[in-house]
Amino acid sequence: MALMALGFVFQSLFLWERGQLHNRCPITSGGEILIFISWSIVIMYFFLGRAFRLSLLGVFSAPMVFLFQSIALLLFWRNDPVPRPPAEVDRWLEMHASTSLFAYGAFALAAVAGVMYLFLDRQLKRRNHGQLFYNLPPIRYLVEALVRLIIIGLILTTAGIVSAFFMKQHPTEIHLALSGAVWLVYALVLAIHIFKRLRPRTLSICAIFSFLLALLTLSAV
Amino acid sequence: VSIFCIGVNHKTAPVEIRERLAFVEEKIPDDLHRICQIDTVVEAVVLSTCNRVEVYGASDSPPLALNDLNDFLIHHFKIESEQVEFYKFQSEAAAHHLFEVASGLDSMVLGETEIFGQVKKAYAAALNSGATSRRMNKLFQQSFSIGKLVRSNTRIQQGATSVGAAAVDLAEKIFGQLQGCQVMLVGAGDMSRSTAQSLLSRGASEMIVTNRSYHKALELAEDLGGRAVHFDDWEEALHEADIIISSTSAPGIVIDAAMIREAMRKRRGHSLFLIDIAVPRDIADQVGDVDNAYLYNIDQLQILADEGLSCRERQIAICRKVIHDHIEKRGIQALAPPREQPRPKDPPEESSTSSGDDALGPFVPSPGNANQDP
Repeated sequence: MALMALGFVFQSLFLWERGQLHNRCPITSGGEILIFISWSIVIMYFFLGRAFRLSLLGVFSAPMVFLFQSIALLLFWRNDPVPRPPAEVDRWLEMHASTSLFAYGAFALAAVAGVMYLFLDRQLKRRNHGQLFYNLPPIRYLVEALVRLIIIGLILTTAGIVSAFFMKQHPTEIHLALSGAVWLVYALVLAIHIFKRLRPRTLSICAIFSFLLALLTLSAV
Repeated sequence: VSIFCIGVNHKTAPVEIRERLAFVEEKIPDDLHRICQIDTVVEAVVLSTCNRVEVYGASDSPPLALNDLNDFLIHHFKIESEQVEFYKFQSEAAAHHLFEVASGLDSMVLGETEIFGQVKKAYAAALNSGATSRRMNKLFQQSFSIGKLVRSNTRIQQGATSVGAAAVDLAEKIFGQLQGCQVMLVGAGDMSRSTAQSLLSRGASEMIVTNRSYHKALELAEDLGGRAVHFDDWEEALHEADIIISSTSAPGIVIDAAMIREAMRKRRGHSLFLIDIAVPRDIADQVGDVDNAYLYNIDQLQILADEGLSCRERQIAICRKVIHDHIEKRGIQALAPPREQPRPKDPPEESSTSSGDDALGPFVPSPGNANQDP
């Protein structure tokens, strides 16, 4: 927890510094976007992990944050973007980008909750309880948190898509199509779960694969 | 002035002796008064639980106080001296013993947490009765710090140590808090009764009991505050249960995978925990393969309990090191010499009595006595 908090402070300092450099929300390159998503994962963990009674969410999300930041570091090492202050800051663009990336944070944590569910389910089924077993949150809380995180992610994605329509420079068709695809996939998963009650195992697998798909669309955007 | 402890516990005295030595909770203040009237005893705390009866105290001469208390206990409880042998600790050994008791290391169920509350309650009773002063206050406050330290820095509480506790732990790992969970008992055996009682004590809300003999089911349902279901109808209620405990004496399978698949379909994604404590088994092995259904039989629960116990036993050395390190760092506060009071510039003439707590002398039942060093 303390290490996560320390990391969060450094992330925040980095993003603040880049924000000063660009004079806008620091999401102007792949590296910055990955750091912003990592930052939003940590912020979601701090705000929601405790509220959803999910101990160890930090332990499971830390490797993802580490991976994203390592890739970001490589990207910066190869090609650190020069300051790109815009002539005029478009608030709707800032809103679109930041809410969309926060949504990725929520989807990332939903995927982490899915991994935790599969891990705990496997240990319960195999009746082989390792040390982590005792520290994991109950199965029911994991499923509840996973659903709530998808809902939060969907709300944020919707806000991101809506704000895109008010941007001075309209987004490209492919950008809109990919954002819409991510929204649609998660909305479908949620709708099927609400109306047909997806089995928790299926829901967890959906959350993991949907997030991988969302990451792919992010790299395409 | 030093500290001492005299008593018996589950390791040194059988229950027949412990029950004769048990202090009656309501009478503890009077008993403390009597103990503190013994010339050699200046402070006292009585810790009386099902597994131990102990008196902690402070005295100018612990060996004499221990002899006096030995006689007091024998006379007070009207027990023959040959029937009981009290353990007696003085000074550091007495403090070490209390620290281990508060940490759950001396408990029958190793690492259990109830003892911590019982030590707190015993100390509060003595404090409110004015039977404690500096030594006991320091000793018990330090035991609470150490008890918390041990529990938060080791795995002494981890894992279950009995079949019932293992079942409850697993139920909590699946459902979280058990409030609102429905439990179905298939068969009305003693083992299923005790497991159900453990689940009820953790908040499970409703019991459905079914048995071939409806009369027995009704009886158990009444005991547990649940409802009885005829054995011909129980399958219809299967999907309502979150936890199923099966313990019939049927020679074959009572619950098969098809029944559970059907129940899971109706449960709309909610988990199901099945506990099979029957021999021969009531629940088919294939039930464990059904998605979101978790099946444990008596042997698997016993293995978990054994693992839990051995894990706790492995923690004893670590716990003792935590206690040792704490004492190395802080010392035993109850044995530290009292701090010198700063001498007032113009002492009033009547303040000629010593300000040291050690000079309090025998017990004087006044509230002020209890609050000198909380």
